[in-house]
Amino acid sequence: MINIHQVIKRVPEFFQGNARTIFPISFNAKVHPDIFSTQERSMRKKLVWFSVFLFFLGDFSPAVSAHAEDLFSRGRQIAKAGNGMPGNTACMECHRLKGGGMPSIGAPRISGQTIQYIEREITEVQKGARYGPVMAGVVQNLSPRDILAVATYYSKVRSPKLRDTETLSPKRVRLGKQIAHQGLWKKNIPACVVCHGPNGYGVPPLFPYIAGQNRTYLMRQLIAYAFLERKDDPQGLMRGIARRLSPQERKSVAEYFSSLDPPYTGSR
Amino acid sequence: MLGKTVKGVLWWACLSALVFCDSPGAGVASAGEAIFSPPSEQSIPGGSLGDLVRKGEEIFTNTKKYAGHYVGNDLTCESCHLNRGRKAYAAPLWGAYGIYPRYRLKNHKVNSLAERMQGCFRFSMNGTAPAVDSPTVKALVAYSYWMSRGAPVGVKLPGAGMLHLTPPSRSPDPFSGKKVYEARCALCHGLHGQGRMSRGETAFPPVWGGKSFNKGAGFYNVGKLAGFIKMNMPLSKGDSLSDQDAWDVAAYVDSQPRPEKPAVK
Ligand code: HEC
Ligand code: HEC
Ligand code: HEC
Ligand code: HEC
Repeated sequence: MINIHQVIKRVPEFFQGNARTIFPISFNAKVHPDIFSTQERSMRKKLVWFSVFLFFLGDFSPAVSAHAEDLFSRGRQIAKAGNGMPGNTACMECHRLKGGGMPSIGAPRISGQTIQYIEREITEVQKGARYGPVMAGVVQNLSPRDILAVATYYSKVRSPKLRDTETLSPKRVRLGKQIAHQGLWKKNIPACVVCHGPNGYGVPPLFPYIAGQNRTYLMRQLIAYAFLERKDDPQGLMRGIARRLSPQERKSVAEYFSSLDPPYTGSR
Repeated sequence: MLGKTVKGVLWWACLSALVFCDSPGAGVASAGEAIFSPPSEQSIPGGSLGDLVRKGEEIFTNTKKYAGHYVGNDLTCESCHLNRGRKAYAAPLWGAYGIYPRYRLKNHKVNSLAERMQGCFRFSMNGTAPAVDSPTVKALVAYSYWMSRGAPVGVKLPGAGMLHLTPPSRSPDPFSGKKVYEARCALCHGLHGQGRMSRGETAFPPVWGGKSFNKGAGFYNVGKLAGFIKMNMPLSKGDSLSDQDAWDVAAYVDSQPRPEKPAVK
């Protein structure tokens, strides 16, 4: 058995205090031994400049937080009344002012999702890459700054869980719970909570929380990943999983996660 | 009219190919090699054996909570032995129970299963080894025993251990590996290998740095790591990297800083 590890020998560390193990030159002719030091040196230079920058920034930090406050109130404005352009509808018509969503029409709960995630989903809807038959009609005229503003706003507001419209089947909830926490490895499906965080509370920045989301929305997304146009998930991770679930299993996980309490329900 | 039908049929063919042929990525054990399927959760017996088995499972999946004293990083046993120690090609416990005691080159000794587990505590978990007769190790051994019920003893089962990936045609190159890492792994394990947290708990484990496995671990061997990555990573997309990419990214991960190998005791 060839053990590659025996081929790779450690060479003296290039920098004091840097425990990086690197590969000898003979191991790969392309590797110039100096490459780390050049990188490191330019990195250090950048760091120095960055700290100078930070030093000056220190003086202006009130201005920075005022800027964030600006975005928040601009976002609230758009959520409440739209951005004033034709074809733009106030987000609250469907997601409510506090972002609790509207279970009856399957509009998702979005309060407390990360800025990055909300921003990404809206941008992808604009590009046509993300399934969003309803959203596509109402966000076309948002500028990147508007998007950042609503994303900031909705990531910060809090909403209680809104009552779902349908009653859940205890049997499906039980099956859903099992899939959520143990996966369905015979179909190569890991536990949902591995990627969506313990309890389904999300893993920032790009793994959304799904606990406490409404059932209709969850169901639609799983179907959209499996068969329709939601095709922008990183590396096709969610598409693969949704496809491998049977209709019964999709229903079960949707019911289970909708039965949970969502994260971020405090008040603001 | 006819054109329309043909188009419809083609459309359906495409759609069903899409739906049904999405390979679950467990591909390698083909040609009649049946993978052992361990008993289901529901068949854990009652009584004191059952309690011990359940205890073992808890330690295995939530190591810090149930055996925190012995753990020196942010991993759990399940971080590497996926699906609670059941996943083929991720050194499943059902594949291990029947082949110990066995001789290991690493320490030139005949090791029992308990001693093998001590090794994972010291190196993979960067911690200290619980005694072979400690409640922790007893529970873990009971868990392995229960999981391997019905499996043949004394032979290496298909899917046991890690995949032995054939050596690459080109030497593993950490620089190409970095590109693979950024494209396929950083989403979950972070650009700096630090893993990701969800409300204070580790969600994606760190793959290098102070909170990952140390230089004495099995994964510090590029070949073992490459075999694991090939079959299991990106999570749920096993068998999607080319062999060369798996070698390269393993070389990259192992070239990054991590805790030193603890001195032999
Ligand atoms: C007419 C109702 C409606 C309006 C108005 C609306 N949305 Fe939506 N939104 C939806 C629906 C329904 C979905 C689910 C995707 C779909 O079917 O289009 C959605 C999805 C989303 C998502 C994705 C959520 C996720 O978890 O992936 C975000 C983010 C979002 N909307 C933000 C907004 C913002 C910000 C506004 C205001 C600029 C807005 N929406 C206006 C109905 C609406
Ligand atoms: C391998 C990691 C992974 C696993 C396991 C996983 N997901 Fe996901 N999931 C993702 C990612 C990444 C996204 C975001 C994709 C995007 O941006 O479109 C996502 C998105 C979703 C969404 C859309 C959320 C929203 O707000 O629009 C739902 C619903 C969902 N997942 C349900 C599940 C369920 C149910 C399971 C378990 C059967 C599961 N996921 C398992 C990675 C995963
Ligand atoms: C960083 C990854 C990692 C972690 C964490 C880890 N292990 Fe391991 N383990 C390995 C590797 C690699 C092997 C060697 C597999 C091989 O030789 O093919 C191994 C082998 C084993 C074996 C023997 C399997 C065999 O087929 O010979 C057992 C039993 C075991 N580990 C138990 C544990 C326990 C118990 C824990 C938690 C305390 C744990 N491991 C944590 C990586 C890990
Ligand atoms: C979808 C998220 C995801 C992606 C993408 C991903 N991993 Fe992982 N990885 C995980 C999770 C989750 C675990 C731990 C499994 C568990 O706890 O059930 C893990 C475990 C590991 C481990 C063993 C534990 C440790 O921290 O050392 C290594 C090594 C690893 N992954 C390497 C990689 C490499 C290399 C890639 C890119 C080819 C990759 N992973 C891509 C989610 C991911």
